[in-house]
Amino acid sequence: MTSKGTYQVKNKLGLHARAATKLVQLASKFPCEIVVSREGQAANAKSVMGVLLLCGSKGTYLDIEATGERSDEAIKALGELIDGRFGEPE
Amino acid sequence: MTDEEGARGAEGRDTVLEGIAGSPGLALGPAIVLDRRTGVVRRHVGNHQIEDEVERFHRAVELTAKSLGEAAERTRGSRAESSILEAYVLMVMDETLHDEVERRVRIDRLCAEWALTVATDEIAEKLSQAEDSYLAERSHDIQFVGQSILRALAGRAEPVSPFIGGREPGVLVARDLSPAETATLTKQNVLAIVTEVGTRTSHTAILARALEIPAVVGAAGALAHIGDGDVVLVDGLRGRVTLAPGVEARANAQLRAEKYRDAQKARLLLRDRPVLTRCGQAISLKGNIELPGEAVLALDQGAQGIGLYRTEFLYVNRKDLPSEDEQYETYRRVLEAVMPLPVTLRTFDIGGDKFVSSMQVPGDMNPALGLRAVRLGLARRDLFLTQLRAMVRASAHGPLRIMIPMIASVGELREVKLLLDRAIQEVDAAGHPRAPHVPLGIMVEVPSAAILADRLAPETAFMSIGTNDLVQYALAVDRSSPELAYLASFFDPAILRLIRGVIEAGAKYDRPVFVCGAMASDPLAAVLLVGMGLRELSLEASSIPDVRAGLACVTVAEAEIAAERAKDCSTASEIEGLLRETFGARMAASAESE
Repeated sequence: MTSKGTYQVKNKLGLHARAATKLVQLASKFPCEIVVSREGQAANAKSVMGVLLLCGSKGTYLDIEATGERSDEAIKALGELIDGRFGEPE
Repeated sequence: MTDEEGARGAEGRDTVLEGIAGSPGLALGPAIVLDRRTGVVRRHVGNHQIEDEVERFHRAVELTAKSLGEAAERTRGSRAESSILEAYVLMVMDETLHDEVERRVRIDRLCAEWALTVATDEIAEKLSQAEDSYLAERSHDIQFVGQSILRALAGRAEPVSPFIGGREPGVLVARDLSPAETATLTKQNVLAIVTEVGTRTSHTAILARALEIPAVVGAAGALAHIGDGDVVLVDGLRGRVTLAPGVEARANAQLRAEKYRDAQKARLLLRDRPVLTRCGQAISLKGNIELPGEAVLALDQGAQGIGLYRTEFLYVNRKDLPSEDEQYETYRRVLEAVMPLPVTLRTFDIGGDKFVSSMQVPGDMNPALGLRAVRLGLARRDLFLTQLRAMVRASAHGPLRIMIPMIASVGELREVKLLLDRAIQEVDAAGHPRAPHVPLGIMVEVPSAAILADRLAPETAFMSIGTNDLVQYALAVDRSSPELAYLASFFDPAILRLIRGVIEAGAKYDRPVFVCGAMASDPLAAVLLVGMGLRELSLEASSIPDVRAGLACVTVAEAEIAAERAKDCSTASEIEGLLRETFGARMAASAESE
């Protein structure tokens, strides 16, 4: 099964190293395959280099697609992380 | 090394490397050489070796991840480096990277080292093209990760911290240290640090100071001269490294090290205590800084924030102008280092003459009275707006105040406020975060501003008196003239009268008033300023301990009486004499007893 979601990067620093780290750490907890893409450029959500290379600065939209076991849950968790500014104050 | 120094050298045969004093203190110990410049093996592998090569790569990855993970664990919660290290672990474990390397081994038949180098170079190259400067910087991280795996491939078990695990503490010698490497440093495992590159404000020096590990940076030739296990003497006070020091050099160093430790102990005891007068009135002493790295040093001396951050260094010694992003990053670093204490950023206080390389401004006959500071900012609004935008953006990272130098009229202040409003609008339009309120204050250093303080006060958030320029302008004394130095006293009654006017205007409109000139660095003058009603001073960090000690032996009431009596004096020397007579002996006694 496949689940999808689109989220906007809201934290001021964007998808920087620490944020990318959190995203990858979270994605890695799920057994499903997760792809993050930005404007057609896709990356494995479990690869920090791939995620960093998306260069997601503040305001960009990320499309997340998860395929396999617990994909719903994965999308929900990742969406919360991005919406919650990766736990950063702003 | 100069001849004179050589002659003084212990037995005349000590080899000394000259560097930059990166972190104070002295240490003697065996060198632990960290030489990263290992040549990368480049060979093709045969078909039958491919699986072995892939296997070898994965083993190195595991080893590297383990070692980095342990380093992250050690620093958890204590330093920002911990999160960098966690990111490194993920990068090492990265599937994208593994796929790239495996592909090159399997298809191009490159050995693991070669495949890894090509893969990391390619990723780093892509990242370095990112428009976001933060992401572009991450390309260094990828390179570092590649280096770490390379070391593991070369059979070195501890890629990050060769000095931890079984080795006696020693002097770490390296070309340079990455954040990951410095993260593993502690006073227990490293006696001192010597690097071939770096400056007082580079990452290694700042971290060494924060950890109180003596360091000499920029010691060219260190790796060529120092072998693993060689005994070296590191003098982080003078910035020199002595190889195989003789008996005399060692004894001498021992003495100086003890003296330094004693002074240090006394200072540390005071660092985190509030500055109080004898009667218990708290006085806020803040630091004046020029370079971002000095912020940490000022805090070390007990500064309760940065009261004057001069931003001129961003503009000098270069051909181009600093971009908004570059300035923003620089200011952000200072704010983050000082958080949660406040930082007052002063817009550039520089004359057109200093810019010749990057902009065309006609030279003035008398630069001190010419097109400089806010005048230059208003003449070159593009330049000024760029800086204001960078400052506004930095306000998202901590309490920040903007201070405008050389304001001479209310009209100028109003123009600057309009420009700041515009900068704020532009920052908002670009979608950058910022603090909801960015206080704008002025330097009072032109006599007209001091005289008109009651007109300026209602329109400014605060006033900070720059005594150096105020003395120069009010007394018509060139600051650089040694023959006129006797005239240039901040104890001059004319100066005190101007200061008093500013303090009164501040009190009337409820605007804070500070002093951020050399006057605040003088313990007697600081007492006088407190007596005149000031509660916040900003001074050179190195003077904070003296001023703290001076204030501690005086009550506010005594200072007020002295300030009252100073009103009846007619000359600077009378006033200085009065203060010395009243408080001098007491201050000297307290300095003795320390």
